[in-house]
Amino acid sequence: MHFYAVTIIGRDRPGIVSETARILFELGCNVADSSSTILGGQFAMILIVSHPDMAQAAPLEQAFSNIEQQGLSVFVRTLKPGGEKRPELPGEICMISVYGSDKPGIIYRVTRLLSERQINIIDLHTKLIGSEKRPVYVMVCETVLPPDLTTEDVRNLLDSVKQELQVDITVRNVTPVEL
Amino acid sequence: MAVREIRVYPDPCLKQVCDAAEPGTEETRQLVEDLIDTMYEAGHSVGVAAPQIGVCKRVAVVDVSHSKLGQKHNHGLLVLINPEILERSGSKTMREGCMSVPDYTGNVERAREIVVQFTDRSGQDQVIRSKGFEAVAIQHELDHLDGFLFLDRVDNKSEIFKRKQ
Repeated sequence: MHFYAVTIIGRDRPGIVSETARILFELGCNVADSSSTILGGQFAMILIVSHPDMAQAAPLEQAFSNIEQQGLSVFVRTLKPGGEKRPELPGEICMISVYGSDKPGIIYRVTRLLSERQINIIDLHTKLIGSEKRPVYVMVCETVLPPDLTTEDVRNLLDSVKQELQVDITVRNVTPVEL
Repeated sequence: MAVREIRVYPDPCLKQVCDAAEPGTEETRQLVEDLIDTMYEAGHSVGVAAPQIGVCKRVAVVDVSHSKLGQKHNHGLLVLINPEILERSGSKTMREGCMSVPDYTGNVERAREIVVQFTDRSGQDQVIRSKGFEAVAIQHELDHLDGFLFLDRVDNKSEIFKRKQ
């Protein structure tokens, strides 16, 4: 099985998903994981697709050339063997919400601290809300903690940026419950 | 005493509305024992419903007393025969996992506090008020009796997450 990551982005309108799905279906590709959302006025799709015997990305790129002419950008990345498998992520799952008046450096200061402590970001969304005069920046970040860190440690760790950037930060454990 | 195999989706048993159980019969007594044994054997489990072991009857067991989240409010081992939720209030979202849907978890919003009526192991009618994690566990198990999985309840904004291994 050959795996590719396909990224498609363009001005949002009805029909982008169905057109993409049609092209993949006609090529005989399977869609495994995918995530799509609207960011600003752009619709962005990322799909992990597989094909039993398409060993080159060229046919995929060619099939998408048509929708590129419709104003969408398409990028195909060939995955190395095993690149479709998620690495094992042991450790507590921790959700971090950061929000406050918009200013440069919020994402950078927060994520730099996380990366220094080997805290792995597995999901990140940011959004500019509020009014034009008083913009508010919101960042919601899901992380996996290394074994030696607790939610409380992360809370303490982020206290310094909270003061410095004058933002609010909440940290909470969202490790799943087994029922 | 028997530990039974946990049925995994797409086993059809998990998507059926179960029939009422008959309290006091040997069949129900045996079913309750198997559910309890299966729950404790799994170690991490805080509840099992009859369809999860392939029996389409309205019986479930819940015990959150050994879980960190259930320490504060719990009724110990609950045997719920023909249970019914009489009242629900508040809301609480937890990221749920289920032995019948291995490898995945999802955020589900449920009532924070419930009043449940059921017949217990000795055939007595009971009404209890449950809250917090125990209430979530009861609602999750009772859903099984109506053919619902947590996948049917995942709030549409959240994703289905690959469980950490």
